[in-house]
Amino acid sequence: MTEPLLSIRNLKTHFHTDEGTVRAVDGVSLDVDRGETVCVVGESGSGKTVTAESITRLIPEPPGEIVDGTVRFDGEDVTAMSEKQLEALRGGRIGHIFQNPQGALNPVYTVGWQIREAIQLHDKKAKDKEARERAIDLLDRVGIPDATSRIDDYPHEFSGGMKQRIVIAMALASNPDLLIADEPTTALDVTIQMQILRLLNQVQEEFNTGIVMITHDLGVVAEVADRVVVMYAGKVMEEGDVYEIFENPSHPYTRALLECLPGRGEKMSAIGGSLPSTTSPPDGCRFHPRCPYAVGDCEIGEQPPMYAVDDGDHAVSCVHFEPGADPSVVLGEDGSDAVGGARADGGDETGGDAR
Amino acid sequence: MMGGEDYRDRFEDIDWDDMQRSGLDSLTTQTAGFLASLGVVALLLVYDYVVVANDGPTFTTPFEWDVTQLDWLLVVTLLTVVFFAVYPLYDNPRMSRRYWREFRKNRAAVVSGVFLVGIFGLGLVGPLFIAKPDLNVLAQYQPPVFLSVPESTVGTCVGPVSDGMCHGTWQYPLGTTGQGKGIMKSVIYGMRVSLEVGLITPLIIIIIGTAVGTVAAYSGGIVDELLMRYVDIQLTFPTFFLYLLLLYLYGGTLFLLIVIFGITSWGSTARLVRSEALQRREEEYIQAAQSAGASEFWVIRKHLVPNVSNTVITNASLLIPSLILFEAAFSFLGLGDPTVPSWGQVISAGRSDIDTAWWISTIPGVFLFTTVLALNFVGDALRDALDPRAED
Amino acid sequence: MSSDAPLLEVRNLKKHYPITEGVLKRQVGNVRAVDGISFAVERGETVGLVGESGCGKSTAATSLLRLEEPTDGEVLFEGRDITEYDKKELKRFRREAQMIFQDPTSSFDPRMSVGESVAEPLTVHGMRDRERRRRIVKDLLERVGLSADDIDRYPHEFSGGQKQRIGLARALVLNPKLIVADEPVSALDVSIQAEILSLMKDVQTEFGLGMLFISHDLSVVREICDRVAVMYLGEIVEFAATDELFENPQHPYTRALLSSIPQPDPTKRGSAVELSGDVPSPSNPPSGCRFHTRCPEVIPPEGYDFEQKTWRSVMDLRVRLGRDGVNAEAVREFVASESGQEPESVPADRVRAEIRREFDIPEELSDPRAEEVLSTALRHLANDEQAEGRELLAEEFETVCESSAPELRRTPAGHVASCHLVSEAESNAVSTPSTGD
Repeated sequence: MTEPLLSIRNLKTHFHTDEGTVRAVDGVSLDVDRGETVCVVGESGSGKTVTAESITRLIPEPPGEIVDGTVRFDGEDVTAMSEKQLEALRGGRIGHIFQNPQGALNPVYTVGWQIREAIQLHDKKAKDKEARERAIDLLDRVGIPDATSRIDDYPHEFSGGMKQRIVIAMALASNPDLLIADEPTTALDVTIQMQILRLLNQVQEEFNTGIVMITHDLGVVAEVADRVVVMYAGKVMEEGDVYEIFENPSHPYTRALLECLPGRGEKMSAIGGSLPSTTSPPDGCRFHPRCPYAVGDCEIGEQPPMYAVDDGDHAVSCVHFEPGADPSVVLGEDGSDAVGGARADGGDETGGDAR
Repeated sequence: MMGGEDYRDRFEDIDWDDMQRSGLDSLTTQTAGFLASLGVVALLLVYDYVVVANDGPTFTTPFEWDVTQLDWLLVVTLLTVVFFAVYPLYDNPRMSRRYWREFRKNRAAVVSGVFLVGIFGLGLVGPLFIAKPDLNVLAQYQPPVFLSVPESTVGTCVGPVSDGMCHGTWQYPLGTTGQGKGIMKSVIYGMRVSLEVGLITPLIIIIIGTAVGTVAAYSGGIVDELLMRYVDIQLTFPTFFLYLLLLYLYGGTLFLLIVIFGITSWGSTARLVRSEALQRREEEYIQAAQSAGASEFWVIRKHLVPNVSNTVITNASLLIPSLILFEAAFSFLGLGDPTVPSWGQVISAGRSDIDTAWWISTIPGVFLFTTVLALNFVGDALRDALDPRAED
Repeated sequence: MSSDAPLLEVRNLKKHYPITEGVLKRQVGNVRAVDGISFAVERGETVGLVGESGCGKSTAATSLLRLEEPTDGEVLFEGRDITEYDKKELKRFRREAQMIFQDPTSSFDPRMSVGESVAEPLTVHGMRDRERRRRIVKDLLERVGLSADDIDRYPHEFSGGQKQRIGLARALVLNPKLIVADEPVSALDVSIQAEILSLMKDVQTEFGLGMLFISHDLSVVREICDRVAVMYLGEIVEFAATDELFENPQHPYTRALLSSIPQPDPTKRGSAVELSGDVPSPSNPPSGCRFHTRCPEVIPPEGYDFEQKTWRSVMDLRVRLGRDGVNAEAVREFVASESGQEPESVPADRVRAEIRREFDIPEELSDPRAEEVLSTALRHLANDEQAEGRELLAEEFETVCESSAPELRRTPAGHVASCHLVSEAESNAVSTPSTGD
């Protein structure tokens, strides 16, 4: 069996602040293969962005610190790398796409100059002319019309969606094996978001890159993910194949997250309570103070281990799924799912039972 | 509907037709207190000019104090500081505690702060109890206490003489100048000068600068254009030469220096405030106030000014040391007020005796240096403490 | 109130911003942020205003509250035009219409306790009794789900959702008749959105408020609105009851917008209609129907037989020619760098093929007459005769979507929509729209 492209094991990234240690990421494990899209989904404060930043150690140290765990990229331990090796990795074999394309592009240089820089940083041999031609080619591939003339334009001459395309072109400049996309479409309008998501899919097919996508939007997850990791308060709640997760959401948190989505034509139900303190999180399952199915076991010890669900590529960190326990407490009496699959028939028809 | 508790008063029960009287909104304690104090000062001013004989001291008990123009200005300045800087801190202990927590992190600044309180406290109170240093040819070049110089340097040694060395005495703890003025007294009077320069001028600058900056930013359009073009002109205006001109026409006084610099140097502050206020103006709380029907004056006073105050205080913390140095330089060059014993003047007085009587220039120099340094430390820490990004 | 007039009626509202140039501020054009919109909000009703960024929805809000002076049009509040209010009446109006803002952080003055912020409107409108203000605010804070003790806390001590509750309290404190909410939940986590939306609903029902709800998020709009107006480039393109709009959207833009929302269901992946291009600039909006530059259902020219998708591609080429133009030199250079040739030696047919590739136009159109027009035009383009190419295409491939602006009209489905397809359906009384010829 070959090793996955990216393998994170028991990652713990903490921030040491005046108010105490913020356990932003507290024991996260996930794998990404070549050509695979893994979505890390969670609300603000879930630690999803810190997880992504920890992969190439982009977190500010101090106050941040990777206190435990390993990040193996293509067989090499990133946590043990020197700063120099890391620099070669970032923007080299691992490309980053950020939420705000405005901030990722330097306003005083032309986009061509910036893509060329990205190419030449990691391919020292590339001559200016050659790099320029590659830059034009990249712009063309990410769907910038008339790439040859637009390469000498400045970032402000492009729209938000176009800027995000340019950022993607820059991330692709070094032919990366892995793309880390942190909320790449959150700042964009829905019609543009769809364009960018399709572009990412297309890029992935063409280059066989692995993608780690950080998002809060379950709709985006359903659109692009192969596998999903649901995070809450620095811990993984549930992970697995995207179809498994949406058809058979098992962790009470995942289910609650799906139930509070607006516009489904069904009643939205809010998750009561609020996020736990990051400096002194509750014992046991991090979600238990807000969980409607919490029992005594949820409140003690550590976060439950990942228990397999239905033998598939699907695991959940919930005591009700421990072998021998009764998952129907969460899933309902008939064991069928009440949430995810209800949308399989589509939202266009009026549900017969909806009032 | 439930809700039988006593404190309840519901918004839907308000009869607005009852409340449409316009007029001054009720004064806050702060403004009322300030206005009342100003009134008292104004009465005293009238008393001083109308009742008290021209040259006589204004007060004779508990101490004799002939209040000068500059003193009046200082009193008003201090009142302003008390009501608009100290009172809000007292009124809002949560915010004050947060600032203090942040400020405390910088040890050097805390030490500097204590030092400055000492210097300025002494400068404020000292001159009320200590007479001005006077000429005394019999006590020239006395060394500071615990030190000694060859008797030949000193005209008449006030202290004990042994082995041809004149020793300092407690009568002149920091020695005397070539004119026999006690350096200790001079330094204390110099503190008063630094206090006046470092407080009154920045306050004038801040008040005008903030008013112009916020009004320009909020009003925009032609008002902004006119105010900022005026600032451009003022920034090219040679204040230094204006001061020289007035100096030759009317003689140099500290009052003149302070007022001239106060009313001609607020341009850069106004610009700074304007750019900050332009950003603040875009915040939604400004729009919220507007959509609630608040007037332009209300929005500027209640939202814009408080929210640019960090910039203003930062700016002031840079202004104060530079103004103090400026005054010292003026006095050193002999362009200051000859009747006021400022640090610069004493340094200047001792510069020809630096070989034999080093303490004359050095001691006020050390005070000047440490004061400016301490001000910079405090300024730095204030900037960090007030930085809104530090707010959690 | 005996008046039968709607609570708020907007008639042909326009807000244009001048574009100025140079030191003398010479006006060189207009950004037509809001360009003639009309709708009404009844008491107790929530009307949604949706659209992408830059469509003018927020400008519409500030103009109809007269926080900015509208350029043209009428805004009738209880039957009286607010653009003609004098100072006193305007102040009264400020009491009766309130706003809720998007960013819970920026909408509170960080230097005021939330109690002071909520009480501010009371003070502004002349309530001098400080204790009474505090009593009212305490009561109100409890009613929006916070504690009365929160009155002296500062904004940064609250979470985004709590701040939005306080924002609602501030909007309510003057007992308004109309609330304009500008993206009130888009800055919140999805798990918080539900709470705030249901609170807003409750409040609205309890006080019979009229509410204008502005959002880019159709799913949120679906939760809370009774009727929805869809805006595109400063105009309303469709206006209908919420259920109607979602189940039977009439305007192609509404359809595209609806299908662009990613569904939380991986089995429906890839079903979205992808809109080509960006939203054009409101300073120079497209002629005719403003959506024709991106519309997937843009009507083909008469007399030619086009496949809809191909026609869209040809239309994309036309749109580009009309705006930035197609630079044959740059295309030649691009082909040269791809194939390793010198730009001068690139044959013209390669340039033409490259243009077709870039616009996704097939190598040969199915209709030979259309193909002839297109290839002639491409030949012009390859020879650097842009104007000729552009004019030929514009003349031959003229579409009604570009030449005339559709009126807002009532559709058979009971919506109001502005689209030539819709009006066709009505006049022919045929339910299957014919897009072929």
